[in-house]
Amino acid sequence: MRVVIADDAVILREGVARLLTEADFEIAGLAADADELLELVATAQPDVAIIDIRMPPTFTDEGLRAARTIRERWPRVGILILSQHVQASYAVELLAAGTEGIGYLLKDRVGKLDELAASIRTVATGGSVLDPSVVTQLVADRRRADDPVDRLTARELDVLSLMAQGLTNKAIADRLFISEHTVEKHVGSILSTLQISATADDHRRVLAVITYLDGGRT
Amino acid sequence: MWRRPLIAGMLGTVLRTALWGSLAFVAGLGVIALVGQSRQEAGAEAAMSAVLGVTVGWAYIGSGLVSWHRTSRRIGAVLVFIGFAWFATYLAYSNNSGWFTLGTALEDGYLIGVIYLILVFPRGALTGWLDRALVLAALVLGTVVEVGWLVFADSDSSVCGGCPRNALQIVRNDALAEGILQFQRTAALVISVFTAVLFVRRIRRATLPVRRAVAPVLWTGGAFCAALALTIVNDVAGEPLGPAPNFMRGLVFAAVPIAILASLVQRQLARGAVAQLVVELDGPSADLRESLSRALGDPDLHVGYWLPDSSTYVDAAGQPFAPGIDRATTVVQRDGQPVALLVHDAALQDEPELVNSVCAAAAMALENERLRADLEARLAELRASRERLVRATEAERHRIERDLHDGAQQRLVSIALSIALAEATLDNSSTTAASALAAARDDLTVAMDELRTLSQGIRPAVLMERGLGAALDDLVRRSVVPATADVRLTDDVPAEIEAAAYFVVGEALTNAAKHARAGQATVTAETRDGRLLLRIADDGVGGASARDGGGLRGLADRVEGFGGTLTIHSPAGAGTTLIVELPCA
Repeated sequence: MRVVIADDAVILREGVARLLTEADFEIAGLAADADELLELVATAQPDVAIIDIRMPPTFTDEGLRAARTIRERWPRVGILILSQHVQASYAVELLAAGTEGIGYLLKDRVGKLDELAASIRTVATGGSVLDPSVVTQLVADRRRADDPVDRLTARELDVLSLMAQGLTNKAIADRLFISEHTVEKHVGSILSTLQISATADDHRRVLAVITYLDGGRT
Repeated sequence: MWRRPLIAGMLGTVLRTALWGSLAFVAGLGVIALVGQSRQEAGAEAAMSAVLGVTVGWAYIGSGLVSWHRTSRRIGAVLVFIGFAWFATYLAYSNNSGWFTLGTALEDGYLIGVIYLILVFPRGALTGWLDRALVLAALVLGTVVEVGWLVFADSDSSVCGGCPRNALQIVRNDALAEGILQFQRTAALVISVFTAVLFVRRIRRATLPVRRAVAPVLWTGGAFCAALALTIVNDVAGEPLGPAPNFMRGLVFAAVPIAILASLVQRQLARGAVAQLVVELDGPSADLRESLSRALGDPDLHVGYWLPDSSTYVDAAGQPFAPGIDRATTVVQRDGQPVALLVHDAALQDEPELVNSVCAAAAMALENERLRADLEARLAELRASRERLVRATEAERHRIERDLHDGAQQRLVSIALSIALAEATLDNSSTTAASALAAARDDLTVAMDELRTLSQGIRPAVLMERGLGAALDDLVRRSVVPATADVRLTDDVPAEIEAAAYFVVGEALTNAAKHARAGQATVTAETRDGRLLLRIADDGVGGASARDGGGLRGLADRVEGFGGTLTIHSPAGAGTTLIVELPCA
């Protein structure tokens, strides 16, 4: 599996590259800014582009803009945003541009190679991966009276969070040490409580859940 | 009580003017009658003499009466005396021997008056022995010596041909009469020269204001002395210049009262302006610069106020004061300390008396204005220093966020990478090392979380990465009270102003939820004319104010710290609207 890494800090892009090599990823190239990244993606056509948000020249949202360009020009290239901070609105924006092959994680997650590798593979195969803190943030921001989310049980909230992070029913079952059938029951209950129309597609489900948590704006 | 002397004074002035005026009128008619019936002159020449005589006499008496109650009683009296003495000389036109002799005897009276006038003007008193000696000599020469000459002079041969008999003649002695006449002329010449010298010396010693004030009088007086001397020399030398010096002396003599009147009028005008200024300064809302400008007749007048602390002049608003070039300046002092600097037209340097009077009249008002300008300057400095502080603080926050992002946070990620790498390459058998690494990673995660929270509190990432528009959208999205945002930012907004605006909107939305119990809030943000305008409105309970030192006070402090304004509309029960203006420059 071929990846490219874009980060202006040499110590981080080299470090991530070395780490991913350990997990048998093929590093197709490294980029220090958005322009280099776009050239690299154009020539190397990687499975996944791992992108930092703040890069030269303005150190603002170059990474996000580059991600959108990549999504428009090369829709098959998976995108994994790695950032110091997680901003729920960025996640909503990324998913709105296309739910397939999108990931958004805190840079902290590089500390667990197996989870990082799994996330990259999910993105490469068209899945969605969102950092748990995105969901935490979205749920924490919902402080409205009479919120259907408040009617969910603790276990249902756990399942909701994992759904939003992009996990499949099977993955959720493994994570929570429960049967896949139980997970399906929870998912059905959650969707009916929140009045989200049921969909078999795991990827679409992420967008539906995130959009719902973001305030019901579709 | 004060009315009686005032009325008495006015009555006195009216009576005196009426009395002397009537006398002058009658005397003038007398002159016309005398010249008309005279056998010495006839026709046009007589008419000229009559007109000149009456005009000059009335001019002296008139200006004397004006001067009497306006400036100096003594100078007024002298002028009136000169006028009548002048009329008296016309008695010599009489065909009657007695009147003719009297007129001839009094022919030098007005000259004594003129010498006296020149020597006392403008103070109204003689100073020094030379002054007194000159006046005494003129007096003796014009009376005793004149009469002495008439005792010996024969009318036909010594006084004038075809004139009436000299009634004072006792003994005819042509040689003696001629001798006395020569002595009188020589002495008169000496007196005129001395008077002219004294006049020049006095002019050179006078202060500029005095010199300006009396210049017309002194010049005409001095010219009269010179003309008098020239006339005498011409007479002694057998009139080589003909009647011209005599005629010139007459003209200059006539110009003296005109000069005195001109000097009076000029002083009166200047005093009027100063009086008007005094009245205006006493008014309720006097624009000091405007009033001074009117009083000095300089529409482009500028006033700087002295700041002793910084030894500089500032304008009324406390801003640094830079007078234009090609302008003259006058320092206004009070109790020996500079108060203000008047920057005026260079032409005003020719009217120092006026400028000095204006400065004296306005010194108190200028001192008040100076204190106000001083306060304004201190206030401006305070505002500027607060703004510098606030900006420096915001710049520092911005820098700290970047430093954390590029430094500590990045370093921690790098450590996380190393731990992951170590775990990946670790020998499976080393469980102790594996658990130590896992523990290190868990601690690291906590540290990164804490650092992230800290950094987010210093400056939100969305503000750093996406700017104010996205940050406000984010605030509205996360607002507890349902809110909408209308953001139209067309101009660049500096980072520290963005941060202040973000903070204000965040606080306002928090207040809407916490205190106002609002059901809805709207946020608008736009840039217009180099300013960022924010409006945050809710439909809550209202009644909010910045007085109680709460959150709104803090917001106002922050906004004002950037030189902006925060206005609160919060009537009880009708929601709260905050309107914020922040400069984008």
